[in-house]
Amino acid sequence: MIDWLVGRRRQPPEVAVLADGHELGAGMLRQLFIGQCLVLALHLIWMPAWLVGLALAVAIWRYFQLRQRVPRAGRLLRLGGVALLLGALWLQYGVLHDMDGLIGLLLGVYLLKLLETHNRRDARVVVVIGIIATSVAFLHEQGILMALGALMALAWLLQSLTRLAGAPDARCAWVEAGWLLLFSAPLMVVLFLAVPRLGPLWSMPQMDRASTGLSDQVSPGDIAQLSRSDARAFRVSFDGEEPATHERYWRVYTLSGTDGRRWFRAPPDELAATLGQSEGAFVREARRSPWVDEAAEAGRFRAELLLEPDSRPWLPSLGTPLASDSEQRYLADGTLERLTSQSSRSLLRLESSGAAPANADPAGDAWNSLLPSQVNPRTRALGEQLWQESGGDKRAFLAAIMAHFGESPFRYTLMPPRLGSRHRVDEFLFESRAGYCTHYASAAATLIRAAGIPARLVVGFLGGERHPDGYFTVRDYDAHAWVEVWLDGAWQRLDPTAAIAPERIELGPQAVEGGAEVFLADSPFSSLRLRELGWVNRLRLRWESLEYQWQRGVIGYQRATAREFMLGLGERLEAGYGWLSTYLRSALWRGAAWLGGTVLGLAGLTWLLRIGLHQRRWRNESDMLGYLRGRLVCLGLGPTSGETPAGHLLRVAPALGSVGAALRTIAEEYERLAYAPLNEAERSAGRRRLRQATKEIGRYLATPRYRARRAGAAGDDVAS
Amino acid sequence: MSTAKVGASVPGRRGASVPRGLRAWLGRRLTIAPGEPLPQRRLFLLPTRFGLVWIALVAVLLLFGVNYQNSLAYALAFWLAGLAVVVLVRTWRNLLGVTVELQLPREAFVGRESRLRVVIRAARPRTAIGLVLDVHGATLPRLETEATASLPWRTGQRGWQLPPTLRLETSWPLGLVRAVAWVQPTTELLVYPAPLEVAGPERRQLGEGLDATDFAGLRRFERGDSATRVAWKQWSRSGILTTKVFSVPPRQQLWLDYANCRGSPERRLSLLCARVLAHHRAGDRYGLRLPGLELPQGEGESQRRTALDALALFPAATEGADGE
Repeated sequence: MIDWLVGRRRQPPEVAVLADGHELGAGMLRQLFIGQCLVLALHLIWMPAWLVGLALAVAIWRYFQLRQRVPRAGRLLRLGGVALLLGALWLQYGVLHDMDGLIGLLLGVYLLKLLETHNRRDARVVVVIGIIATSVAFLHEQGILMALGALMALAWLLQSLTRLAGAPDARCAWVEAGWLLLFSAPLMVVLFLAVPRLGPLWSMPQMDRASTGLSDQVSPGDIAQLSRSDARAFRVSFDGEEPATHERYWRVYTLSGTDGRRWFRAPPDELAATLGQSEGAFVREARRSPWVDEAAEAGRFRAELLLEPDSRPWLPSLGTPLASDSEQRYLADGTLERLTSQSSRSLLRLESSGAAPANADPAGDAWNSLLPSQVNPRTRALGEQLWQESGGDKRAFLAAIMAHFGESPFRYTLMPPRLGSRHRVDEFLFESRAGYCTHYASAAATLIRAAGIPARLVVGFLGGERHPDGYFTVRDYDAHAWVEVWLDGAWQRLDPTAAIAPERIELGPQAVEGGAEVFLADSPFSSLRLRELGWVNRLRLRWESLEYQWQRGVIGYQRATAREFMLGLGERLEAGYGWLSTYLRSALWRGAAWLGGTVLGLAGLTWLLRIGLHQRRWRNESDMLGYLRGRLVCLGLGPTSGETPAGHLLRVAPALGSVGAALRTIAEEYERLAYAPLNEAERSAGRRRLRQATKEIGRYLATPRYRARRAGAAGDDVAS
Repeated sequence: MSTAKVGASVPGRRGASVPRGLRAWLGRRLTIAPGEPLPQRRLFLLPTRFGLVWIALVAVLLLFGVNYQNSLAYALAFWLAGLAVVVLVRTWRNLLGVTVELQLPREAFVGRESRLRVVIRAARPRTAIGLVLDVHGATLPRLETEATASLPWRTGQRGWQLPPTLRLETSWPLGLVRAVAWVQPTTELLVYPAPLEVAGPERRQLGEGLDATDFAGLRRFERGDSATRVAWKQWSRSGILTTKVFSVPPRQQLWLDYANCRGSPERRLSLLCARVLAHHRAGDRYGLRLPGLELPQGEGESQRRTALDALALFPAATEGADGE
């Protein structure tokens, strides 16, 4: 795989750019190709596999071109390649302007670019596109594994760049790339934490994404798709009280409309249009639920939700949502919606009641007890009969319904027989008598409505896996449907599944007998299948908790979190400063600080002065000699023309009396330094002697005694 | 002095002289002399085109991170920005403190290619340092402590010439910025006129008389003397090691005269130069007559050198005076 790209006629393959500075060597092309493979690998799970074929085709063409079997790719071939790419993407996605199509286009162009990569500039363009493609891969996923993969790709691309800049060998290139990454990592961390985050500046094409298969309409006949998948819907941790197992009813949608076969959700705008009311009667944007009296209900659960990216605006809430940390859409039916779709994971803090909403539905009782008249006649008859038997007591009526499910030979299964007739609820209640939550919930709701009592279906999740670290993971197979009944001025939760399979409520879907063959049918390699094996399960839990921390800490580091972090940092700094200032306010400390500061300042100043003088005067022998000669010239003892420096000093030595010996030393040392072959140690020793002698003379010339002598002997100067 | 007068009378020339002063000032400000370690103040960092592209890349990734609220895209953008800062320092340090020494060629003729040897020393290992002299360049892939490169350059004019400024540059490690320093040679090189060979009757056979055959005497042995030339007999007699010296019989005694050549002064100098070289090769004894200068007849390496020096330094101003 590595060797086959080496060209035959080329010089050593390690040379990145050939001597002419233009043509790329085979080694460099191989580097670029491996970089492309790494970047492509980041995308491969989400993108079509034929991109690998494209990469190989381009590489093979380049290989044969290096061996001179085929010519350079002409414009026709390159345009043909692009056209082929566009065609394939169109076949794959149907449209080109959605996110997947655009990413495919970017990757395809990145791979095709190798065809026209001939010089250093082209190679750098390839690397830059590679970096962009790496960052686009974060749209798919931002987990730990993706981050590690991206880091690997980045390191490879960097070492390709060092090769292009002239690294002589692989070791040198890798060492440099490693140092660069290491040195820049702290900078990256500081910038990541400190740079303020902005909201989206303009809208971008979004990835069409559903984190769960949870649908806003259900039909008893459909296959239990959700139980087949272990995809994560959301994660949640609680601040304060945690809900017990049987309380974890996550409401997502209420389905209040039915045509007898299926139950569907009536969104606020449709509902408003149908009932002739304003939309504001059904939904409001706020941070606090406008439908619940603030004083009446205190939130029971405070949850921090880590939500998976989803292009639909649904939000789960444990019972009725009461307040959130950011503006959301509160619906009158006690559910919650996001303002915009979410392209990446996000954090949401939510306060909720844990119970069904207490406010009446503005759509009215009539809407919530509507049943199509021609459908499911036997069920309606049964409902009316049970209502008669209970003698108008609503609670007795509901108990009778639950008892009906418990007594008749109903069974809970994830693989129920398919229901095909027009009267599906009839077919289920009186013939097949096997099904899962959707079947029971829709049957119960139909029975209740038959008695004229308002009722609606609620879909959402039930349960969730608790991690040792204290957070819950809710997965697709936790999806559930139940009924809410308007009773005594509030909605009441009624879960008919509890009558059939109480273990589903307490232990989760995997506990239900008869569901084993369907449970996780679409995830054959899921590690969740191994949850019976102790150490595998522990390993899985540890990994998931690490992943959770990563997602919460790094990926969730968005606007609010960043602001909070910086505020916290600022507070801590302020607190530290306050502590320090109170501590230092005592007189003793202040005196010591002043003293220490002064001493330090003086020392620094002296040091700087010394350095300056040292550099100016005493750096090398010619500077020292120049200084000395300047002093001598001032005294009228300057050199005559043609005199060597040493000769000059020897000549004027007698005139300086007691330091004449020092002057002779200087002359001797200077000549030694200038002409003798000395090594570095000898040289610096000689300089030191020279420096000492020079300073001695400088001190002597500055003394008053010498000045007096000079003044007295001014007339008969020796040197003149 | 006459050039100054001309410069004052023509306004255009005056304008041109200001940039020359500026250039000289810049030259002092920007360059270092050979032999001294490259200081910070003579080391310049310039962004490359790829560096600008890199900045754009960081901006694009930041926008990407902002619009998709994607933390990892933010992180990648910040990492690339951090890399750019680190690269700035790494590039700068790759050139800082390098010592350059220039070794001039032994002799150079106008219009011929001569080679400047560049010796580079550094205390730390360096990578991918480029040297550019005029238009020719060389790259040192790896410099442990010392490396040598030889750069060609075309000498321009006759006489004392400074070699062109040597540019040191490196864009290691990523090619985002380029560190540049200029080394201004301080030693001048005496450039000889271009030799101009003319085929003619005076062209001589260069075969005979080259061997030194006439015994001329004995001299004290010096290291390096050929063993066949040692006077072994004298040594056995006197114990003093001596060497036999032979003299080359001068084939001809001749004068190379400026006045006898034809053409422009430069052409005459070129002709004379070619003849000096030819006669030296033939072992002739020759003298040189130039206007205002007469070089007595002589032979050997020193004669050749003196003659060529005289030709190189022959003042061109007389020609300028002729023109006026």
